[in-house]
Amino acid sequence: MARWLGDNRQGRTGAMAAFGSFAILLGLVLCAYNFLVGAIALRQIAVHPQASFGPERLAESARRAGIGSFIALSAAAFALIYCAFTNDFSVSYILHHSNRALPWPYKFAALWSGQEGSLLLWAWLLAAYGFVLRVRHKVDVKLTAYASTILAAVQVFFTLLIVFPAPPFALTQGAVPADGFGLNPLLQYPEMVIHPPMLYLGYVGFSVPFAFALGALMMRYPGEKWIHITRRWTMVTWLFLTCGIFLGMHWAYAVLGWGGYWGWDPVENASLMPWLTGTAFLHSVMMQEKRGMMKSWNVWLIFTTFMLSILGTLLTRSGLVSSVHAFAESSIGTWFWVFLLIVLSVCLFTYILQRDHLQSEHKLESLISRESSFLFNNLVLLAACFTVLWGTLFPIISEYVEGSKVTVGPPFYNRVAVPIGIFLLFLTGIGPILAWRSTSFKSVQRNFLWPCIAGVVAALVLMAAGMRPWQDMGTLYSLMTFSLAALVVTAVGSEFWRGARVIQRHTGKNMLFSLVQLTRRNTRRYGGHLVHIGVVIVFVGLAGSAFNQSNEQEMGFHDSMTIGQYRLVCQSYTQDSNANYDSEYELLNVYKNGKFLAQMAPERRFYHASQQTETMVANHSTLERDLYVVYEGRNQDTNQPIIKVILNPLVAWIWIGVAVMAFGTLLALVPNMSAEQAARPRKPAEEEVPLPAGVGD
Amino acid sequence: MTILACAALLIGIFLYVFYPQSKTEEQTQKTRLEFLRERKDAIYENLRDLNFEYRAGKYPEEDYLAQRAGMENEAAQILAEIEFLEAGTHAA
Repeated sequence: MARWLGDNRQGRTGAMAAFGSFAILLGLVLCAYNFLVGAIALRQIAVHPQASFGPERLAESARRAGIGSFIALSAAAFALIYCAFTNDFSVSYILHHSNRALPWPYKFAALWSGQEGSLLLWAWLLAAYGFVLRVRHKVDVKLTAYASTILAAVQVFFTLLIVFPAPPFALTQGAVPADGFGLNPLLQYPEMVIHPPMLYLGYVGFSVPFAFALGALMMRYPGEKWIHITRRWTMVTWLFLTCGIFLGMHWAYAVLGWGGYWGWDPVENASLMPWLTGTAFLHSVMMQEKRGMMKSWNVWLIFTTFMLSILGTLLTRSGLVSSVHAFAESSIGTWFWVFLLIVLSVCLFTYILQRDHLQSEHKLESLISRESSFLFNNLVLLAACFTVLWGTLFPIISEYVEGSKVTVGPPFYNRVAVPIGIFLLFLTGIGPILAWRSTSFKSVQRNFLWPCIAGVVAALVLMAAGMRPWQDMGTLYSLMTFSLAALVVTAVGSEFWRGARVIQRHTGKNMLFSLVQLTRRNTRRYGGHLVHIGVVIVFVGLAGSAFNQSNEQEMGFHDSMTIGQYRLVCQSYTQDSNANYDSEYELLNVYKNGKFLAQMAPERRFYHASQQTETMVANHSTLERDLYVVYEGRNQDTNQPIIKVILNPLVAWIWIGVAVMAFGTLLALVPNMSAEQAARPRKPAEEEVPLPAGVGD
Repeated sequence: MTILACAALLIGIFLYVFYPQSKTEEQTQKTRLEFLRERKDAIYENLRDLNFEYRAGKYPEEDYLAQRAGMENEAAQILAEIEFLEAGTHAA
């Protein structure tokens, strides 16, 4: 690829950097124009609603400037990638994050492996979201004009960052070295090519519902249509953030070599917080759509989600907290603090000014209703978010108050987050089977019987199989999770079953056809149920961690280690080298219950350019458990490799669960079957009235 | 070459942003009537859901009837206001 693009060894340096810098400056001017002129036009239209053509022409030019900013920032992003592929080390960023021997996918990933590049990616993604929003402005011209202007203000901030404190095209001082310093070895892993963009798409994407919510509040938008408009944006964003978080978990599991996937690291927490509030928002907006309730709550949820996305970025980049995931530390924290303060002030000011517009149309009628289950769900998600926020900021607070940094570790989070998670799982099961407004005792009996039986039977079966919940808290929590998983799956399954039976009676077709029809008639609802099934599967995978086992020992030629049903025998250990890194690895034959299972090769690499080492975990994954083998290095005295083996039960279910969640979300994004299709009778003799599309939401 | 590329980008975007438009989209404020129509659609959808869930056997009849009556009352109020506003619009 680099050969195809050419190489800058002979000195064609700086041209692309100049073009990139110009494109960024142009992008800044266009965003600023979109913001300022857009705001002036909106003001003129608001003050003189019957006025002439002028302000609308201004607003149109502002919208086009916003679209233009996407083109300009795309050119800048292209320029930086071009510099990476052509080894243009005259650009300081490329010098510090790439080298000649770096495989081409990682040269591409260099765009987001450092501060300046990842901020450019952020600005570009924001412009891309803005591009889609501005192109689709006919959905509601006035509301989109407000949202576009607010989004342009956010764009101005991020573009300012790449113009002043973190310019990606800054030139290398002095003589240009022949080769770069290379990419951080931790980032040289296939998932790192897609994990950060996914996460950024999630973070950045919340800017759009934020802009619509703030715009709707500013213009006192009547009704809930803004939620309809932003629903898909929010779901897509949530999907990206979910995938980004789980890809990050998988990366940590596969690369960091400590055997776990979630360490309550500040950067992990930073991504979890907007996910929690975003999830709360996705649930509570349904109350606003259906019942006109919780309007203030929803507005503040999306404001908070956006601000937490910014806070997450601040934590990742400012060096305020130390993290294995923080690859771009610098002193741009002040910029983010100022921006956060401005955002909070604007949100507060607008809310205070317009709060009478957010009166609820209904009140909560009963504690046993779907509304109250959503409310509980929101409170629990916010409690989890506050816990994570408190734990993440505690080192900063303690340093400020006591002068020393006190770090909060996983035991704190687990003590609080695990019970919260279990309660959320319970709510996942009961929410869909409660009625809107209020649920009678008779209805509770009718809908809860089978799920409760399934939960109790699952608990009894597991105890009969040997689980002893009274022995330790881990086992108790695991048992509760498995039992609630059975309850939720039965509850959600009964929703599908009952709905499909109605369709079956109506159409006379088989159950599978009826299930498909049911889902197509209301993709949002049944896609949402599938997401809940995915969540249950993830929880089952997480619950397996209570039964982890590990062992560590020196393993020379023909040495063996036994763990659980597995026996590992060393066949050989050796070294290898290529242009990018040197490596040491051990070949291990693995036997399960005496039968040969697989050969595994845990590895440790030493990267030449960055002079850093990196662990390559060998993992044999099955639905039952992962056999996770780490090459820890060599004993200095005996020169023999040290091997660590961890048995992680049910981990594969976490990744399966995420896939189900992603599928469910994608399904929920598909439009419902049209009314004509739904109303077309399959069986003309049927007496019942055809069902309309959208049933059962 | 760099100057040419920068100039092309600048001129292209400048023309796109400021090229005179013969027609621009009008920014209209949503009326109370439009809001009520949206609300009516939402209530009708809620009613359809309720009917479907009742037919699926989720609710006993007394719950269903009570909920349906509540929603129908709400719909009636909205329809009355829509009629009133529409009558005013026609009169004007």
